Amino acid sequence: MSVGDPEIVVSAAAAGAATLDTAPETAAAKIQGRSPWKLAFERLRRDRAAVICAIIIVLIVLMAVFAPVFAAITGHPPNHQYFDTGLTLDGQPKPPNSTFWLGTDDVGRDVLVRIAYGARVSLIVGVVATFLTVTIGTVVGLAAGYFGKLVDTVLARLIDVMLSIPFLLFAISLSSIYSAGLKVVIFVLAIFSWSSVARIVRGQVLSIREREYVEAARAMGAGSWRIMIIDILPNVIAPIIVYTTLLIPVSIVGEATLSFLGVGVQPPTADWGQMIADAQGNYHAWWFLVFPSLALLVTTLAFNIFGDGVRDAFDPRSDRMFN
Amino acid sequence: MRVENVYKHFPVQSTSLFNRSKDAVHAVDGVSLEIRRGETLGLVGETGCGKSTLARCIMRLYDLTSGRIEFEGRDITTLKPGQMRPVRRDMQMIFQDPYGSLNPRRRVGSIIGDPFSVHGLGEGSERKRRVQELMELVGLNPEHYNRFPAEFSGGQRQRIGVARALALRPKLIVCDEPVSALDVSIQAQIINLLADLQDEFNLTYIFIAHDLSVVQHVSDRVAVMYLGMVAELGSVSGVYGHPRHPYTNALMSAVPVPDPARSRERERIILVGDVPSPIAPPSGCRFHPRCPKAKQRCVTDVPELIPRLEDPPSHVAACHFPVADGENIADSRPEIGADDRVVEGGLVGNV
Repeated sequence: MSVGDPEIVVSAAAAGAATLDTAPETAAAKIQGRSPWKLAFERLRRDRAAVICAIIIVLIVLMAVFAPVFAAITGHPPNHQYFDTGLTLDGQPKPPNSTFWLGTDDVGRDVLVRIAYGARVSLIVGVVATFLTVTIGTVVGLAAGYFGKLVDTVLARLIDVMLSIPFLLFAISLSSIYSAGLKVVIFVLAIFSWSSVARIVRGQVLSIREREYVEAARAMGAGSWRIMIIDILPNVIAPIIVYTTLLIPVSIVGEATLSFLGVGVQPPTADWGQMIADAQGNYHAWWFLVFPSLALLVTTLAFNIFGDGVRDAFDPRSDRMFN
Repeated sequence: MRVENVYKHFPVQSTSLFNRSKDAVHAVDGVSLEIRRGETLGLVGETGCGKSTLARCIMRLYDLTSGRIEFEGRDITTLKPGQMRPVRRDMQMIFQDPYGSLNPRRRVGSIIGDPFSVHGLGEGSERKRRVQELMELVGLNPEHYNRFPAEFSGGQRQRIGVARALALRPKLIVCDEPVSALDVSIQAQIINLLADLQDEFNLTYIFIAHDLSVVQHVSDRVAVMYLGMVAELGSVSGVYGHPRHPYTNALMSAVPVPDPARSRERERIILVGDVPSPIAPPSGCRFHPRCPKAKQRCVTDVPELIPRLEDPPSHVAACHFPVADGENIADSRPEIGADDRVVEGGLVGNV
């Protein structure tokens, strides 16, 4: 470096800045940590509706985890039929009372305990099916978007085909061919939802693939896998996470729908969709219909609003950070 | 490094299912260059003339339509990605957009350390040490190792790009408009940094820019491109002092002169018309529809890239009627009418 070079001035300035930086160490540390993730989290934390919904979701999870506690406190196992205490003299369900807090169903089982156990099925299906869906969708979308050409043509057509199959018809026939149960429900939900995830991921990858940093990675000799996982995936993960949170309630409703139609989780396992179906013939016993429906509504609503909050938090255009 | 007769055409796909058109954008059309060790070859031309495409062909980011690329005596035109990897240690690239060329989701340390991890060099603290050395080398504060690209200014980001390109101690660096996205004061810093690094590591640069004065400042030799072809090639003093191609001449007349008196007396050559479509480039000399000196021969014959007038053999231009020293082509009028200006496919040129 020659004297009089502007470079020298700059490095001197940089050195000055460095000494300044070290003095208020804590301030520097604070500035450093603002990754896009932290920013998104900060925004989410300021979203009151999302926080409330997150709390509700936690409560529902706790209810599912501690379902046996409900059974212990009330002294009513989920599948036990109380023909003497749980039914009226003419064999009708009993309304909410001191022993059965949310009433009983048509065969004298405790609705409260069954709702708590039903939360387990809903959450397991919601989370596992969504996880499967997102995994398949991401892999397919990444491959289609990144490799392009023939791979893309084949996968994009496959996505179109999957999106055009009528979900319920296919789900009902599939569940009746294989003996219905939790695994089949999860499988059916995943098979039918991955295509929409794949389409979103593919679109994102198509645009990110052309960015200069991907070109830079290629120029330094990075392989396709490395580019896909290290350079592209972190940039599509935000929409994936948003879609995941919005997909969980869809899966939960999907499971309830299948169980309602009798092709989902089989009795006597407690399940919300199943309970709503059983309540069909007992319209006078409002508690039997209302409480499971309410559980389903609150759960899906909480996930949906929370998902909206996550989407807003990841949206760089939302400037609520500073409000 | 040798580039021979490189062609790169991008097929233009028609949307119709049954009517596949076979048009192609002739981005690079038969370019031959030789880059000598330790020199800086400037590449200038208007937007869309194929400079960046040529750079990406040289880096083998694009596969060639035809032609041959030789690096250190070795033909790398058809090497597979796996075979190409060791070669990439010796050739790196600096990109134009300091905002687009750094992954926003990754920390600076990991971006600069990327070449090491791709090539499996250095682990853990060793890699960190080398990355911090690089950061210091390009004038960044090594303590900012854990920051994100968004926390840096444009000039600092370009330094990050330089550090990344330098990580593997390459022999050749292709700089694709490394300063055109930066403020003028920052441009000078980056150019000086590149010059210092060239001295220190004996680097060879291919320096692409559309700013003629920047190219004049950094280059040993200059290649002027027009519509995918080299119009003129020679030493900086030759091309800037005695431009032979009318296009070069017009470009030079557009360089601002930092002296109002001289600036006023100088006559600017104003080219008429737009750059023709690279899908159907003009016949003969590609510059003929816009050339003030165009004659009938320019429409039919493709000019050869050879020394003109009394130039040394290293200074070549592709023009049938080269511009003599002191000649003012602003006074010339083409000897062909608009109807004669034919482009490929028999269309009349858009003049």
